[in-house]
Amino acid sequence: MAFDHVTWIKAASYLGSGLAVGFGAIGAALGEGYTAGKANQVLAYRPRMSGDILKTMLVGQAVAESAAIFALVISMLLVFGGLGGPTPLSAWAYLGAGLAAGLSAVGSGVGSGFPAAAACEGIGRQPKASGQVTLIMLIGSAITQTPCIFGLVIAFLLMFVDFSAKPYYPYWAALLGAGLSTGLAAIGPGAGGGLVGASACKSVARHPEAQRPVTTAMLVGIGTTQSTAIYGFLISLILLFKSFPASTSYVPSFALLGAGFAMGFGGIGPGIGEGITGGYALDQVGRIPEKATLLTRTMLVGQAVSESTGIYSLVVALLLVLNA
Amino acid sequence: MEELTKVWTWSLDVAGFHLVFNATTIVMTLTIMGLLIAFGWFATRQTGLVPNPFQVVAELFVETFWNLTKDALDEDMAKTYFPLICSLFMFLLLCNWIGIFPYMEEPTKDLNTTLGLGLMGFFIAHYAGIKTKGFAAYAKEYFQPVFFMMPLNVIGELAKVISISFRLYGNIMGGSIIILVVSHLVYGLLIPPFLYAFFGLFVGTVQAFVFTMLTLVYISVQVK
Repeated sequence: MAFDHVTWIKAASYLGSGLAVGFGAIGAALGEGYTAGKANQVLAYRPRMSGDILKTMLVGQAVAESAAIFALVISMLLVFGGLGGPTPLSAWAYLGAGLAAGLSAVGSGVGSGFPAAAACEGIGRQPKASGQVTLIMLIGSAITQTPCIFGLVIAFLLMFVDFSAKPYYPYWAALLGAGLSTGLAAIGPGAGGGLVGASACKSVARHPEAQRPVTTAMLVGIGTTQSTAIYGFLISLILLFKSFPASTSYVPSFALLGAGFAMGFGGIGPGIGEGITGGYALDQVGRIPEKATLLTRTMLVGQAVSESTGIYSLVVALLLVLNA
Repeated sequence: MEELTKVWTWSLDVAGFHLVFNATTIVMTLTIMGLLIAFGWFATRQTGLVPNPFQVVAELFVETFWNLTKDALDEDMAKTYFPLICSLFMFLLLCNWIGIFPYMEEPTKDLNTTLGLGLMGFFIAHYAGIKTKGFAAYAKEYFQPVFFMMPLNVIGELAKVISISFRLYGNIMGGSIIILVVSHLVYGLLIPPFLYAFFGLFVGTVQAFVFTMLTLVYISVQVK
């Protein structure tokens, strides 16, 4: 068996492809299943609304599915894209691309299911508000996809930017770390953003006239929930485009890989935590729309505190990258 | 796919410093400023009870953002900060939308623009906080809940600048990268217009709104 770099690159792109679609399939399926379950539950006591609820369910599931479709696209490109490269560095780039696309689809897939489920429930309860509920569901689940889109962007950059002039050490770790950082850090914010969107759908169904304050609070809430996904994206961009000196030792490589893991895992918890904060806040914005400003402010302060652990990760990741 | 990382720059050597200007960003920012000034001139030229189309759009912006600013801040403070908030949104909206026209590039695709605007919001919010509460009360907040939390509170404040500017930059830059790569893969057929509609119009509007609202809420957190 000959193990030249062409073999390695092929092997890595097949492995990356498998990881992309494997991880990518987890989240969307969970989210869609949850949506369908809720739709069934509502249909049991609102059988006459079956058309509306079925339509909302399918639209919501389609949005949740798009996370998995992004991962599928990357997976297909890795297998059939005719990708290659002059140096073994490309192997790590393709592995990183698969991980970025796959892992980042987990959170957004689950998350996009929550607003869809809440919308089915809301329409069952308040059939007259069905237009407003569908609109806020679409905005909420589309914005929930943002962490997944960051993963897709990093995957595209890893696959299509030419890194061949860079030294193998420590760049192999930088490329793999870039994929891990965005991919892992997107899991929490994706799921958390969905919790905020779900509460927004519930609130609009309860008080259709509170649509505007709820939309504003929801966008701010999902926006802050995604902060750690943005830090992960930032670390990935630094890992991809900062120039690191060539080295003969393994130490700088592992510092860069560590930075990717630090920000990636560090981003999961704050994303979910901030999503829970935002969800409860949005619940109350729907109940007492005139207190929306106070609630939004308190939500933001609470989210900032719950994000502090993500900021520790960001600081450690930056220190690791700068010392490498 | 060299276009992915290509940037047009102007270089200049002044007094021993090597300065690099991002030519596309500067030209596009000036274009958008010109368009906004023209829009303002048309909107206020012949105001009347039966408004011209520009006036209708301008009234929509002003009314929406006046209500949002008034809700977040008090009425007299809203008068100070409303022009900033409304023009910030209009500027960002035009920045994010201009990418849908051929040969035009979004200034918000450049980190310098978004980081600059993020720092502007940061300094304005902290200035507003010091002005309303006084410096002692403002500084005391950094030593909450215990005094040794001070460095973490400062880092937390700085992280807000990073998250607000990278949110806009990441979304717009990410959208343009996806459009570029997908257009290349499908030879520009069929799919790109839908991508422009989603990333240019929808995501652009939402992110411009989120940036503006977060700037407003940061000010309101500081003054309360």
